[in-house]
Amino acid sequence: MRQFGLFYRKEMLEMARSYKWIWVPMVFLLLGVMQPVTTYYMPEILKHAGNMPAGTIITMPTPTAGEVLAQTLNQFGTIGVLVLVLSMMGIVSGERQSGVTSLIFTKPVSFIAYMTAKWASMLTLTAAAFACGYAGACYYTIQLIGSLDVGTVIQAGLMYMLWFVFVISVLLLISAWLPNSAGVAFTTMAFIMLLSFGTSLLSRYLSWSPSRLSTIASEILTKVETLSSVGPVLWISLCSILICVMLAVYRMQSQESISAKA
Amino acid sequence: MTLLKVDQLSKQFKQHQAVKKISFSIDEGRCVALLGPNGAGKTTTIHMLTGLLRPTSGDIQLYLQGKQVADRRPHLGYLPQMPVFYSWMTGREFVQYAGQLAGLSRQEAERRTEEWLEIVGIQDAAKRRIGGYSGGMKQRLGLAQALIHRPKLLILDEPVSALDPIGRRDVLRILEQIRQETTILFSTHILHDAEEICDDIILIEQGEIAVQGSLEHIRQSHSEPMIMIETLNEAQAKALEIAIRNKPYVHHVASEHQTLRVTVSQLEEAERGIMTEAVQHQIFIRKLEAGHSTLEDLFMKVVRA
Repeated sequence: MRQFGLFYRKEMLEMARSYKWIWVPMVFLLLGVMQPVTTYYMPEILKHAGNMPAGTIITMPTPTAGEVLAQTLNQFGTIGVLVLVLSMMGIVSGERQSGVTSLIFTKPVSFIAYMTAKWASMLTLTAAAFACGYAGACYYTIQLIGSLDVGTVIQAGLMYMLWFVFVISVLLLISAWLPNSAGVAFTTMAFIMLLSFGTSLLSRYLSWSPSRLSTIASEILTKVETLSSVGPVLWISLCSILICVMLAVYRMQSQESISAKA
Repeated sequence: MTLLKVDQLSKQFKQHQAVKKISFSIDEGRCVALLGPNGAGKTTTIHMLTGLLRPTSGDIQLYLQGKQVADRRPHLGYLPQMPVFYSWMTGREFVQYAGQLAGLSRQEAERRTEEWLEIVGIQDAAKRRIGGYSGGMKQRLGLAQALIHRPKLLILDEPVSALDPIGRRDVLRILEQIRQETTILFSTHILHDAEEICDDIILIEQGEIAVQGSLEHIRQSHSEPMIMIETLNEAQAKALEIAIRNKPYVHHVASEHQTLRVTVSQLEEAERGIMTEAVQHQIFIRKLEAGHSTLEDLFMKVVRA
């Protein structure tokens, strides 16, 4: 537990000194604010686009506040995930590759504390960035489009956050598995995309898939009757997160050589 | 008293057997050099001792007051060949972090950090980020982080190979200072460094132990009568080598340019014989020295064999 605190503080400090605490929340804030603002100004933007034949009349149904927020979540799901993966891809593999692990693991340290502290630090950064972006989106949606129901917003936010936790758990596992950071980013992105794609393609069979979490969050906001029951998705997601973290610890512990350079 | 006991230790990488069933033990308070040419298996052995690499077979045991300990790591200090730190940390932060990871309380780690930074001589750079440190400073920082928890056994992988003469001198001086309290095992391919501060030598070659024992003992038991002859040029040296190679008093001839180093059975007889040969073949001898082989000759013999 003491070592967990040490590792966690070190990760926090590293994220601060590499400015991750600034740019990751910034990207999320931008993403979050852009969606309601562009939706609001869309008629203006089109009017000034200039390449429309004269006399074109565009009528667009103004989306509801819930729909705008759901679209924001979609943005988080693509660019947001990419930013998270890129900013944290080297969290384990980078240390192994540089060789600093050979100093750390010759000290009497616990693999569980090391890995769970990394996971917790990823979680902290992700939660802060997501909270920033989501709050920004809510603020501008309320200002420009219409009021939101607080309970629904929080519920959807928590659902979506769980999806992010799943993503970073997968990232931690793959970072512990593969020796280089670029490979980690590629594999994680490929896995997440395949999972999302597969789930929407085979929604009947994969109604329990963790990637349903993002769909459920949107459905909560747009008040659409949900396709799947939420219970199994929640359980499966929580279990897969736990399994990912445990496998990551096991992988670190069981490999032949701790430093990738050995 | 035995501190570390290594029994039949082997490491097999895919095709290549890096370490082949080596056994040795280290007594408390000794300074031991793991000597060998590049690629002999020194680093692999050290990685297995520190627990960074899992042995293919064999056993490593660490004893504390005669009792075997389950986890070696709290009692080991380790400095890798090219230590890598978090470049965004300052020197002071890293040593403190290492101390706390080794189980020291925060206050204790802070206090000892100052002590060690001073001993290794980088207290002036302690506030700076490690990213801007030179090779020599990193080596010193590495020593400080390896020693902060007062390990029973300090393991160093090529601690001075990459340093300039001044850095080398400083690190050897620090080792000289800490060997009073700590048992030291360090690897090197430079015999001179080993001779300077070590009590015992383990000479390994191609994953096997070639010679081991105390420096004194090795010096005595492997010292053979030897004659060093310097001739006019390489051609003459070659001619003389051919002439004396199969004489009964000659054990081994090593040639280097115009110099021959001849290991012999008996000095006087050999010298007389070599002189006769030289006269017969009209070889001009510039210099002839009769003496005994040094550790370096032994090292070369083992490595080149």
